[in-house]
Amino acid sequence: MANKSGSLYGLTILSPIIDDPKADVSHDLALRIYLNGLKRDQDGPFAKVTGTHIARLAVMNDVVFVGHPSKEEHLQSQYLVFECNFDGDLDPYLDRMATQIPEHVEAIWSHCINFPGVKDKVAFRAYMKKCQVETTFYFADVNDKTVEQTLRALQTQTSVASFIETNQGKSPAEIQQAFSALLEAMKNAPAPVSGSGLNGPQRYQTAIVGGTIHHE
Amino acid sequence: MTNLNGKTYALTAITPMKPWKTIFLRIFVFALSHFKALNNDLVNLSFIHFARWVIVTRKQFPYVGGSQPRENLKYDYVLFFSNFNGTWNQYIDAFSSVLAIGLNLFWHWSNKYPGAVPITPFKNYIARVQFENDHYFTAYPHAATNDVKAAHRVQAAVDALAKVSTGMTPDQFAKAYSQFVLKVQCDLGSTGAAPVGV
Repeated sequence: MANKSGSLYGLTILSPIIDDPKADVSHDLALRIYLNGLKRDQDGPFAKVTGTHIARLAVMNDVVFVGHPSKEEHLQSQYLVFECNFDGDLDPYLDRMATQIPEHVEAIWSHCINFPGVKDKVAFRAYMKKCQVETTFYFADVNDKTVEQTLRALQTQTSVASFIETNQGKSPAEIQQAFSALLEAMKNAPAPVSGSGLNGPQRYQTAIVGGTIHHE
Repeated sequence: MTNLNGKTYALTAITPMKPWKTIFLRIFVFALSHFKALNNDLVNLSFIHFARWVIVTRKQFPYVGGSQPRENLKYDYVLFFSNFNGTWNQYIDAFSSVLAIGLNLFWHWSNKYPGAVPITPFKNYIARVQFENDHYFTAYPHAATNDVKAAHRVQAAVDALAKVSTGMTPDQFAKAYSQFVLKVQCDLGSTGAAPVGV
């Protein structure tokens, strides 16, 4: 199935946007205003939907005319395009969208024709699947790791770089003890935050004071 | 700029295609999907997190009933989504240089596609068929594709050292640790804000 690559799912959705000539602010513009106001970091809506690697939303006003001799044509509706790359299968992900960010899903898709809302999960799933288009070719560079595994690996990478630098020249016993402390810190660390800022991942915090290991 | 989040750029494009040509694109995609060697250039480029091509035939635009009018189109359409590291110009340049043949096989069927080489008409075409994103999220904005792959290698090396080092004497650990450092030393580049395009 082209929607999947390894353990990842590539979802593509085109939802027709309501065309209401009587509205003070057209639905496509209201949608753009809302989407542009959303945070895109750890406080953004998709940071809260477990398993989201990358997601985008775009208003597609029309198809493109590429010039003669191609014929000019137009869509009857504008579409909200939702492209998402996430861990696992579609139904659980749609359920997570409905439960983890219901207010955002409602606010976004309420501008689309016949959107049933998220309270009825079965109807919500059915609507999203009706709007889904099958991916023809899907490429995922790393397709066997979850978001959490990747965020933890990035945190480990930063921690190991710091660890090697800090412990250079120390005795084998000291390095071994410090390595044990690092492993313990990795084990006890909270889940890394998705979408967090541009300063890079925080390293695992360990400290060795007076021969005793303390975790911060 | 909503096409960019940290180190990752989101390109969205749509191109029209005569319906009788769609089958040829599907045959090419079938070959690409079943012969992994054909993906090598895409993998070796190593700055694309995710990319996809989606054929939407003229009768396949989603219809949800209600007030939605039925589409009445002459062409099928190809949607292209890419999530890559770097700037738009770098990406299109690299695509044109490394993947010209592959790209031509994908887009040759689209109306007025000029070919990936020479670069100027190719860039003009992509600029024409691209449309802007309104929201763009990535779970790891600070990490390029190579950072992600390197981080997973470091994680695997740490896990392996943790597994074998239990019960080792300090001298045995020192040897294993030296091997570990040698193994991961090329994968410890720092992540963070992109040097360009921020």
